[in-house]
Amino acid sequence: MKKSHIVSLILVAALVGTFIATFTSTSRSVGFIEAESMVGEECKISGSLVREEPVVYDPETDPTLTVFLMEDKSGARRPVRLLKAKPTGLENSESIDLYGTMKDGEFHATEMLMKCPSKYNENNHVLLSENEDPLS
Amino acid sequence: METLFSGEWIEAAWIGRFLIALAFGSSLVSVVSLIRGEYQWGKRAFQVHAWSTFATIGMVFFLFASHRYEFQYIWKHLNNAMPMRFIFSAFWGGQEGGFLLWMFWHNVLGLILLRKKTIWTPQVMAVLAAIEVFLTSMLLGIYFGDFQLGLDPFLLLREAPSNLGLPWTTRADYLTAFPLFQDGQGLNPLLQNYWMTIHPPTLFLGFASTSVPFAFAIAGLMNRSDRSWMRPALRWSFFGVGILGTGILMGGAWAYEALSFGGFWAWDPVENSSLVPWIVLVAGAHLLLINRNRKHPTALFSTYYFPLLSFILVLYSTFLTKSGVLGDTSVHSFVDSGILPQLLVYVISFIALAHIALVESKKWRRALLFICLLLTLLALKGWAIEAISLFIATMFAAGIRAYLKDIQRTEEEESLWSRDFWMFVGSLLLFVSAMHITWQTSLPVFNRFLEPWSDQLTQLGTRWNSDMLLDLAKHNLAPGTDFDQTYHLVQIPLAVLILLAMGFAQWLKYKQSNIQRVLRSLFLPLIASIVLIGMLLYFFPYEWYESPRVALLFAAIFAVASNLDYLLTVARGHWRKIGSPLAHVGFGLVLFGAVLSTSQKEIISKNQIGDISSLNEELNNREDLLIMEGDTLSMGPYFVHYREKYQEGIHVKFRMDYFERVPNSYAPGDVVFFDGMVFEAHETHEASKLFSDDMEDHWMFIPFPNERQANQAQIWKSGIAGEQLFTLEPRIQINEQMGNAPEPDTRHWLHKDLYTHIKWGRVTPPETDENGWMGGKTHTVQVGDSMLVGRTLLTVDSLRAIRDEERPVRGLLDDDLAVVACIQLDNQTRIQTHEPLYIVRDSLIIPDLYEAEDFGVQMRIESFNPQAETLELTVWEHISVRRDFVVMQAVIFPQINWLWIGCILMAIGSFLAVAARWQRDQQSKSA
Repeated sequence: MKKSHIVSLILVAALVGTFIATFTSTSRSVGFIEAESMVGEECKISGSLVREEPVVYDPETDPTLTVFLMEDKSGARRPVRLLKAKPTGLENSESIDLYGTMKDGEFHATEMLMKCPSKYNENNHVLLSENEDPLS
Repeated sequence: METLFSGEWIEAAWIGRFLIALAFGSSLVSVVSLIRGEYQWGKRAFQVHAWSTFATIGMVFFLFASHRYEFQYIWKHLNNAMPMRFIFSAFWGGQEGGFLLWMFWHNVLGLILLRKKTIWTPQVMAVLAAIEVFLTSMLLGIYFGDFQLGLDPFLLLREAPSNLGLPWTTRADYLTAFPLFQDGQGLNPLLQNYWMTIHPPTLFLGFASTSVPFAFAIAGLMNRSDRSWMRPALRWSFFGVGILGTGILMGGAWAYEALSFGGFWAWDPVENSSLVPWIVLVAGAHLLLINRNRKHPTALFSTYYFPLLSFILVLYSTFLTKSGVLGDTSVHSFVDSGILPQLLVYVISFIALAHIALVESKKWRRALLFICLLLTLLALKGWAIEAISLFIATMFAAGIRAYLKDIQRTEEEESLWSRDFWMFVGSLLLFVSAMHITWQTSLPVFNRFLEPWSDQLTQLGTRWNSDMLLDLAKHNLAPGTDFDQTYHLVQIPLAVLILLAMGFAQWLKYKQSNIQRVLRSLFLPLIASIVLIGMLLYFFPYEWYESPRVALLFAAIFAVASNLDYLLTVARGHWRKIGSPLAHVGFGLVLFGAVLSTSQKEIISKNQIGDISSLNEELNNREDLLIMEGDTLSMGPYFVHYREKYQEGIHVKFRMDYFERVPNSYAPGDVVFFDGMVFEAHETHEASKLFSDDMEDHWMFIPFPNERQANQAQIWKSGIAGEQLFTLEPRIQINEQMGNAPEPDTRHWLHKDLYTHIKWGRVTPPETDENGWMGGKTHTVQVGDSMLVGRTLLTVDSLRAIRDEERPVRGLLDDDLAVVACIQLDNQTRIQTHEPLYIVRDSLIIPDLYEAEDFGVQMRIESFNPQAETLELTVWEHISVRRDFVVMQAVIFPQINWLWIGCILMAIGSFLAVAARWQRDQQSKSA
């Protein structure tokens, strides 16, 4: 066995090890219901903002707390406490990804990613509405 | 009947499409001719291809310059308000332009390679032309049913699939009838800056330059007895390392300077996917370096494989970032533009090409080709995921077969003390690092592979009682948000080893070296690094659990010191030897600067929320500062003052003045509060940082303050604002397309940066009713409670029943029940007590709206609970007393400039190495 083989083998084994390690260490995307059973474990929840409920952000009392209601993919709704300033465009977001933990029926999110509707689709609505009145 | 559309420049669309078709056709002709050995034809065809591509690009530029909004691409990325200097940014603002830019560089590189014919040129050009076939097909814009082949940059707005069937598309005068079409959408304002002008071309040149080593490796595999392909491949690899590295770090600089990600690197999938090909290219270049001169090559398989892999990873990166498959795991938002299948075919074809080229026997090659065709059929039948899984397995088998049988192997044992051996180890480490990052980035892709096996995994998981398999069955892996866990845990040890090898191997000779001499030369750098890390730890203390980072800092210092020493003693005066140690110094400095500045970053806006922080433990780890207009607050080593806000173009700027912090001085007789207790100074002194340090020597505890003391007492402050130092203007960009976006403002020093950005700021006037009242929030309060209404502190002092003599004054009837709430209002200039009423008349509540005019506060008691003695109190604040405020974050990044210096040195070093190789290869050829 050559030295280079030994080195390669060790490194490949290490690599495979890290791959398998990710199966246990990464956060998982779940629904609210499932997250409630994962006490203290970080998870990722995808869903969308419930627009009927207001997004509460009151920077004078707490500049790093945004509270809103989110519906996950299975339709479950839970209040979310996002420990950040209110991200711009939250009200218009199409879908939301949250990272955090479930605590007392509320989701405490430390990280959040949003997807906003593409500008192009939005303008199609503009075009459509203009066409409702062909003489405009 | 065809409608004649007025104002459309329809000819331009046809010329453009003709040019693209010509480019596509000629690249095909070029590939076929080159493979058939008709070099002249192939060369001509490639030239035709190159020039028609350039003409296409010129055409698109012309359409931009003449604001031709009937074209979808122009309409989407340009508007009338945009200055012409952003025309480049607009050009590559979309996918079509991105592909054109990429093709542009490919063609430039291709034309350079065509200038001189070597034995490798035909095959290399065949591969480049094949890449171009695929890239050009990305611009065709042809539909086969649902399958979309390419995005046509000359697509007319009315032909866009999303507009098909809309009534306006049939109106001949749509361009003049709708104002919407006289102005475009414009480039996302976030992209309207000079970074967008220089970053994409650099990055795409880097991407394009990885395809040259790829092409040389394929050519080398076609003729395995001759290994002279390695010399040109090596030059191009170093060129790619320099350019791609610059492009990646330029992206980091952009993020740091102009976007509010809070740093220069966020392990974002988009960043990762351009970093990974670079790492593999570096590994490949070092293996080429080992083998270019050797009679008996070592690690030959990897020497072929890494350059191949680097380009494949570039394609994979394109696939990840442009297809929309990453979806929402990245902050860069991607839109699925319908070209996912095509991009996938592109990646897969080149993976197949590389692996089929790797095996030598004709039988195997045919078998592989056959399997690929079968799998294509399977995929077309609808089992795409299964087909791709099988494809990957097949390619893996092909790779193993090639490694075992088809690539020449030497049984010659490497000396442990040879540069070759350690360069090989370093390359492997780089490879492992690249694969780990790829893996983490690819989890969303991996989930898709797990999906069809979900049921089987669940069965196996239940049978073997394995939680891991059950978890996998849910196919919901997501990259963690904790970078330490997700990336650093693996990347830091790897980087330590790589840096140590880099510092050590520089002194080794190829083949065999005298280890004692090497150790003697290493003595000085080693001592220097130990001293330096000691000094560093003195100034920047680390916790014990951060020891991996300290190890990384040490390894980086060692790599820098060792290579610097080499540069000054061995390479001095020989410019050709400077490239490698200089690039290594640069790489070491990049990692040093990155690790030090991020691990020692200090969020100085932390814990400044004031009294509220004691009420809520969660607030203690918050990182933002709330500051009112006109206020001056202590922040880290400064005092910050929010002077004003003003609008300039599309930016709302917040002018923040920074003041020096000077120690407060107290004179005898000064009275202060500290921790709820009152103290009086008995001598003149300068305040220390902590009150406890001063308390015994300078202060007297006053258990029962007299009236003077009670009135005078102020909160103890260690420092006050001194001289004004500088002003920073973080801003919010008004961006209707993407939502308003904060942009940081950074103060640079040689040894640190102060990076500030607005987390929340008001850019539009607050909502009020017609009389200017804002808010209207209802709170449940009891006696003793207080709250802030704008700048006024509202305290519920007491409750009492109404006195009879008050009734007429307050307009009450004799039978009315009324509770008077004594509410104290304090806005720091005055304190007054106001008495809103809670009135019940004939068991009906009479709403009583009470206004405290001097304070701009309005209140109403909604209900009163006599048992709990609580009130429901609604309060409004008047717009006239409203003070603006912002929530901001300020971070100090110490020593960050090493990162940028390292970046520049690394680029210079790489290009010097290219030049040195070039000259040496020319000489050896003429000799």
